[in-house]
Amino acid sequence: MANMKIKAKVKGDTLKCKIQAKHDMITYNIAKKKGVDANFITYMTGKIGDRIVFEASTSQFLSKNPIIKFEAPAAGIKKGDELTMYWKDLSGKEVTEAKKVKGLK
Amino acid sequence: MERRKFLGLGLAAVALVPASVSAFDFRKDKPDTWKAKKVDEAIKALYGDIKPEESGLSINVPKIASNGGAIPVKMTSEVQLKSLALFQDANPEAAVAAFTIPADVKTVNYMTKIKMAKSGSITLVGEGTDGKFYKVNKKLEVALGGCEG
Repeated sequence: MANMKIKAKVKGDTLKCKIQAKHDMITYNIAKKKGVDANFITYMTGKIGDRIVFEASTSQFLSKNPIIKFEAPAAGIKKGDELTMYWKDLSGKEVTEAKKVKGLK
Repeated sequence: MERRKFLGLGLAAVALVPASVSAFDFRKDKPDTWKAKKVDEAIKALYGDIKPEESGLSINVPKIASNGGAIPVKMTSEVQLKSLALFQDANPEAAVAAFTIPADVKTVNYMTKIKMAKSGSITLVGEGTDGKFYKVNKKLEVALGGCEG
């Protein structure tokens, strides 16, 4: 836990999500200065069940603790469904976290 | 021969299944994109030699970013897209992120926060489901560079 903050809400026909991943996002420049290895999130997906609602490949230039907001159609999402976020970083660390989608009756 | 054919079919089926459910990792499939120093080179590495139209997409950024460590970038499209890529020209490499747009998303509405070391411009390139390419470019000033840590 606590590797990610996830908010997912259905409003009308739209699924609105806000994700904050907890990650230092160390660029190659900073890594050189501080003498540590560069490390940043390289790949991220958001899924509801088997359906991919978000997919991104990212570089070191996302901010520290990057925030991502995205929207997708809400069709087919039922009460109790969860948004499962997954990310992988350069060091190979993988994190998966899920949160229930709000706003459904 | 029969057996070989059968095996071949099985392999083809296996190969098809993951492609439809998932997943396109731009870092694995287009590694040169992420090493390119210039925006043009990065676009070329990702999409090839394209002539994008200057319409269909928009970026919303603050005119002056007080903190280059976290600049909010809002990306929206009026057209349906297959993929979307974000670049800037202030950092050592150009590529920031590439998104694969799910087929049921009609118009993109994404936001993320990025780092920029100095003032520069942000470029957004999208590949439409109609096969056309779209592009938008926006300049912004960064008061305090964000790549120093």
